[in-house]
Amino acid sequence: MSAAMQNFAARPEAAEGPVVAVRDLRAWYRLRLFGVDREVKAVDGITFEVRRDEIYGLAGESSSGKSTLVKTIAGAIKPPLEIVDGEIKFSFMPGTKGLSRAPPEIAARVRWRHLSYVMQGSMSVLNPVRRVGASFVDFAARHMGLDKAGFEAAVIAHLARVNLPGSVLMAYPHELSGGMRQRVAIALATICRPDFVIADEPTTALDVVVQKDVLGMFRSIQREMGSSVLFVTHDMGVHAHLTDRLGIMYAGRLVEEARTPDLFARPRHPYTRHLIHSLPSIGDDKPRIGLEGSPPSLASPPSGCRFHPRCAFAAERCRVEVPPMESVGPDHRVACFEKDRVEVTP
Amino acid sequence: MFVVLRDLLRYNGEFLAGILLTGIVVVMALLSFFSPYPPMDQFVAPMDVPPSAAHWFGTTSRGQDLFWLLTYSIRNTLAFGLLVAILSRILSLSIGLLAGYRGGWVDRVLMSINDTFIVIPLFPILVLFYFVMRDNMSWVMLAVLTASLGWSYDARLIRSVALSLRHREFTQTAVFSGMRTHEILSKEHLPFVLPIVFSTSLNNMNWSIGLEVTLAVLGFTDINRPSVGGMIYWANQHSAVVAGIWWWIAFPVGLVVMLFIGLYLLAVSMNEYIDPRSRLERGGGRKE
Amino acid sequence: MRVYARYAAGRFLQFLLVVFIGINLAYVITHATPIDPVEHTVSVATAFGQTAPDAIESMRQSLRELYGLTGSPIEQYVNFWRRVIVADFGPSLSAFPTPVSSLIGRATPWTVGLLGVATLITWVIGNSLGGLAGYYRRSRTLKAFGILAMALHPMPYYIAAIVLLIVFGFVWPILPISGGSQMNVPRGWSADYMLSVARHSVLPMLSLILVGLGGWFVGMRSLVSNIVTEDYVTYAELAGVNKTRILTTYVMRNAIVPQVTGLAISLGHIFSGALITERVFGYPGIGSLLVDGVHAGDYSLVLGVTTISILGVSIAVLVIDLIYPLLDPRVTVG
Repeated sequence: MSAAMQNFAARPEAAEGPVVAVRDLRAWYRLRLFGVDREVKAVDGITFEVRRDEIYGLAGESSSGKSTLVKTIAGAIKPPLEIVDGEIKFSFMPGTKGLSRAPPEIAARVRWRHLSYVMQGSMSVLNPVRRVGASFVDFAARHMGLDKAGFEAAVIAHLARVNLPGSVLMAYPHELSGGMRQRVAIALATICRPDFVIADEPTTALDVVVQKDVLGMFRSIQREMGSSVLFVTHDMGVHAHLTDRLGIMYAGRLVEEARTPDLFARPRHPYTRHLIHSLPSIGDDKPRIGLEGSPPSLASPPSGCRFHPRCAFAAERCRVEVPPMESVGPDHRVACFEKDRVEVTP
Repeated sequence: MFVVLRDLLRYNGEFLAGILLTGIVVVMALLSFFSPYPPMDQFVAPMDVPPSAAHWFGTTSRGQDLFWLLTYSIRNTLAFGLLVAILSRILSLSIGLLAGYRGGWVDRVLMSINDTFIVIPLFPILVLFYFVMRDNMSWVMLAVLTASLGWSYDARLIRSVALSLRHREFTQTAVFSGMRTHEILSKEHLPFVLPIVFSTSLNNMNWSIGLEVTLAVLGFTDINRPSVGGMIYWANQHSAVVAGIWWWIAFPVGLVVMLFIGLYLLAVSMNEYIDPRSRLERGGGRKE
Repeated sequence: MRVYARYAAGRFLQFLLVVFIGINLAYVITHATPIDPVEHTVSVATAFGQTAPDAIESMRQSLRELYGLTGSPIEQYVNFWRRVIVADFGPSLSAFPTPVSSLIGRATPWTVGLLGVATLITWVIGNSLGGLAGYYRRSRTLKAFGILAMALHPMPYYIAAIVLLIVFGFVWPILPISGGSQMNVPRGWSADYMLSVARHSVLPMLSLILVGLGGWFVGMRSLVSNIVTEDYVTYAELAGVNKTRILTTYVMRNAIVPQVTGLAISLGHIFSGALITERVFGYPGIGSLLVDGVHAGDYSLVLGVTTISILGVSIAVLVIDLIYPLLDPRVTVG
């Protein structure tokens, strides 16, 4: 690796505390269709933070609002989505409240240098009519301060980390396999050694063998770069292997958060419990118990705790009051009135 | 259906404008049934009178009342467009649905033929047809030929919809329940493509009327049957513009332009209504 | 390279199919109709004055040979194709004895020039403005332009041409409304002649551009507004890639691909439009030749123009198809 690259990699350690802090965030889709107003409360009052050098997992079924949360944090807000309330603070953007509210020139400097993104569906994130190398130039060249040859050398060195030959730079996206494309996407997201990487279902579209391969690579790159990662997937198995801490989302809200091993060992929310119990394990031949009912509509969510219509533990109170997020141990928070009953039930 | 219409009228300015423009033209055509003059009678009115209370649109150098002549002309022109639209719908529907449903080599062969008809320049062929037929050519024959040349673009559109229907579950159910191809196409798939058929037939009418007007203006149709293009042809024959009889050209051109824009706006607004993506966009964009 | 060869072969087959169907269409129209072109020509030729019966008979015979209407139907069909392939349609009747092929040869540069320049201008302007309008959805100027383009788009070429003719020929006569160049300027590569040609081409070109612009504009606008929601555009935006770069190399570059296909598809239509426009402005191209041929009852000329038109348009489409993979690297795979 060149000296310039080394220098570039050095990160100021001045800022302590979390890389990202999200406070009471509300992001809604506001639609007006043929005279009828509709509000979809996809993110409705979420508070959490991602610490330095950790992989924070975010789990929940589809339409639980996790993709919207990710979009909001990444500053990809377009109508009809809007931030209604709350704030997002990045350690690398002191004094500003999130990307979408920052001045454009600051946002442009931060994007990819400090915050990058691995998107869902690697098939479609690369410009289909340009060679892969051109995407690297577009995305990263302005942050690296290298000449053309130096930049190319740096990119090829970085591609080696994800086991890709330098020749992929000359290929068009459609000429690569799904797994190769995903590795290109990971390389593209980590080339600038960003402080914070958002990964939104990065392995969902891949087959299981390739998925395992890519996840291992992800972990080793993260360790090497020291970036913080927000890793989103509905796949609890992936979370168990990869993440340090894990937050569970249900119907636009965070319902539980803990260190990943703790969460799997002692879930306190009935929904988390359901997610963990539905994971298959070797030698287990009990039938899986599915969840009654379907995910709630975010346009008209249930009153009280949003999980109560599907919850086996639901009491009268759950129908009326919204359970607050409460601490129940070191780094363990849960929003459930019946958390103690959940814990002792086998 | 009624709700759809009401919503369109209330929230879609293009639809409203389209309905108004097309409506005026249709009313004009219907007025022909109340005309005091037979359509092609000449010298029933004073010649070259500018628009006045007695003759709203003026009169021609051939002693015809332009208003009443125009009602007949636009009626014939509309009838031509409708006939072409109906005939070419039959072709494009059967070819598009069949190609999309059967796929494979049937699709490849039909689409090659389809692309051929898209590419071939039609105007010289229609002119050649007139040249051979001369006075034996009737408007129905012209409509049949125009329809048999003008189905291809919409067939491709219908095929792409049918292609997506093919893999839907209800198609499989129908296949397993022993329905024949033509039954599946007419009972299961037709309802899905009907909205497109409707909006494309508006565009098709525009296209065929444009062709007919053009051919008539050049004198390449039956010039003794009143049509909008035919009126412009006679106006040119009498050098109406040079002689300052502007109304002879202006009213037919104005009316037919109204029809073109009206039909086009209707087609555009209907497409927008059919396509859910642009609907969502409109919904989201409204509060900008 | 092998993939490209396979793609090119496919396009070439399609080209042959277009020519085959098109020429057969012309054959069927001229041969399956009850009207005999020979009798028609004879009646036109003998309409004025007396002609001896045996003279009429020999005229009939030579016309039959001339039009390739002698022999069995199969011989006629083969003969028809031979004439198309060697581009020999015999002498023109209205400009006897000039061969039809040289009349067409004389008219072709006018049509190709007018059509080529007009199509290029229309396509470039329509797509650029449409792309901008799709990307900057709130711009008032572009919205207003969109409405104007939408109003002009459904207009047939003839109507647009005649309106321009009236406006610039009679209401505000500043441009020549007829012919390809000024009569008294000698032909050649002189500046005067060039200027005269350019001035004469303004109105016909303008009418082609006005009618054509709307389609490209509206098409490109909707393509772009769909493409801006594609993942690769969102991703580039999230990466903070320069806005101009996103607009050009991400959005426009991808949207232009279907518009090239669109150009190939609509070429036949544009060509027909150019023929009509030529007629209105008395432009000395193929269109005027065709209409004159019809009025003069010149069978060979009309047939020649029709078949050459089909050939010309199919060749142009083939050329576009063959350069298309340069724009879309995906095409040679699927």
